[in-house]
Amino acid sequence: MKINPHKKFEGIFLVNGKLATVSLRPGTTVYGERLVKSGKKEYRIWDFYRSKPATAIKKGLKEFPLKKGMSVLYLGIASGTTASHFSDIVGKDGLIYGVEIAERVLRELIIHAERRGNIVPILADARKPESYENIVFGKVDLIYEDVASKDQIPILIRNAEKFLKSRGYALIAIKSQSIDVTKKPREIYKKCLTELEKHFDILDKVELDPFEKMHLFVVMKRRN
Amino acid sequence: MKASIVTTVIGCFGVSEDNNIIAYIKFQKDPQIIAEKIQASETEKIPEEREIEDKLKKKGFTEIKKTSNEFIRTNLRALAIEKKFVKSQAELNKLISKVNIELTKIKIKKAVGRDALIMQVSGAIEELDKSINILVERLREWYGLHFPEMDRIIEKHEKFAEIIEKFGSREAIEHPELSQFREKSMGIDLNKADVKIVQNFAKDVLELYKLREELSKYSEDLLKKVAPNLEELAGPMLAAKLISLAGGLEKLARMPSSTIQLLGAEKALFRHLHGRGKSPKHGVIIVHQYIQKSPLEHRGKIARLISSKLSIAAKIDFYSKTNRAKEMKKELEKKIREIKSK
Repeated sequence: MKINPHKKFEGIFLVNGKLATVSLRPGTTVYGERLVKSGKKEYRIWDFYRSKPATAIKKGLKEFPLKKGMSVLYLGIASGTTASHFSDIVGKDGLIYGVEIAERVLRELIIHAERRGNIVPILADARKPESYENIVFGKVDLIYEDVASKDQIPILIRNAEKFLKSRGYALIAIKSQSIDVTKKPREIYKKCLTELEKHFDILDKVELDPFEKMHLFVVMKRRN
Repeated sequence: MKASIVTTVIGCFGVSEDNNIIAYIKFQKDPQIIAEKIQASETEKIPEEREIEDKLKKKGFTEIKKTSNEFIRTNLRALAIEKKFVKSQAELNKLISKVNIELTKIKIKKAVGRDALIMQVSGAIEELDKSINILVERLREWYGLHFPEMDRIIEKHEKFAEIIEKFGSREAIEHPELSQFREKSMGIDLNKADVKIVQNFAKDVLELYKLREELSKYSEDLLKKVAPNLEELAGPMLAAKLISLAGGLEKLARMPSSTIQLLGAEKALFRHLHGRGKSPKHGVIIVHQYIQKSPLEHRGKIARLISSKLSIAAKIDFYSKTNRAKEMKKELEKKIREIKSK
């Protein structure tokens, strides 16, 4: 078994060439992922078929700013497949606020939130950041948005204005099929990027095909 | 002088207009209790908030409002330490997580209404129908080895299973249309054990029919309570299906009627939007008796009419909960007659 830290990204490892994070709760799986024990540590293989940031890294993303100790606002956290790896990376001193509108998937997340202690489940609509402003303490270091909604971009911008630190990071998985099914993905990406550029500096972007069809993953930094 | 009351995970604050903390009351450091307080605070004034209000009044504040406050929100981490609520940020993180887990649990419980039951039952009926069909096909093939002539004569599945369950082997069957084929059947002979097992299988299939009956009756009762107008206008099957497809009564009530008209025809709709194929005129509402009874050329118009009325019915059911199904039905019938007479 060959385990190496990822060359560029803190907190991410390569186990026999596969992406992995160090489990915060050894012995438990979140979504049926493979666990690899090595010494005192346990690594959870990060499935790039099921988690968009992993896909983006797999496809050669150059910037992935998530680090130990960060506080994160995660819009569209769902059952916590991706969030569990984020939770591994930020560790005990970090915190993930997970906003989700569907109570069905949040039910699954709660089980993992209870075990991990650094995930804050919030049943709310990301379109209405006012509804959870009393829950999110202070400003966060990073916002990640993965919601399948037509108004993906305005949602991110409004949440960033309210909750993101100045020069904080924003990550988004743009799903072109949710914005307009009849247009070509590239056209939609272009439009979204011009919109995002008004508020953020774009650090890197990568298309997620063929693992996630018609998705663009963008890493940004807040301008002011 | 203006002031505001702000309730947070660590307790209640009384804050003046120029962001001075005038009063503060700690919560007890128990996630369950904090969650309950925050939950209650959303709809009413909790005791702590009243106490803060009194303190503010004594200090001479007159305009006191319960709001969120940007100053408190951004400085809460520092405040939590300053007010000695927690010793470290890590401890605070754990507490925030625990409180919100409790809070979310309470919210999840409230978010699920009786319409969720309708959706489950509607799904169960659909799956039951599929299963019954598969099993009856199997039963027909199986018993066909023994008595192939029966397959054509008894067309109703339930009847077919009933006969097997009641009589067992073909020699025992007493049925006016079947008796004549008994002697010269081309089927193989079965011994007692063979018959017994196929009989049991038929019995279980019949149980599924009974279960289906029970479920559809239960679904109808639920609908009459949860969505009486929709049930009356659409019929129990369609009403349940629409609620399921929309993802709940609230979502259905918020839908425009054009979306309701095409629920279940998404594939055709998107094909059309991509510029391939004609626009669909109706989704699942095609099973509505008024559409079924209408000639093809009127179906599009009638579908539009029906969906508009169903949309109103869903809105009444969710928001005002009065029963106006009868008058709506009359109006609908009148308009359909108008379309047909043109």
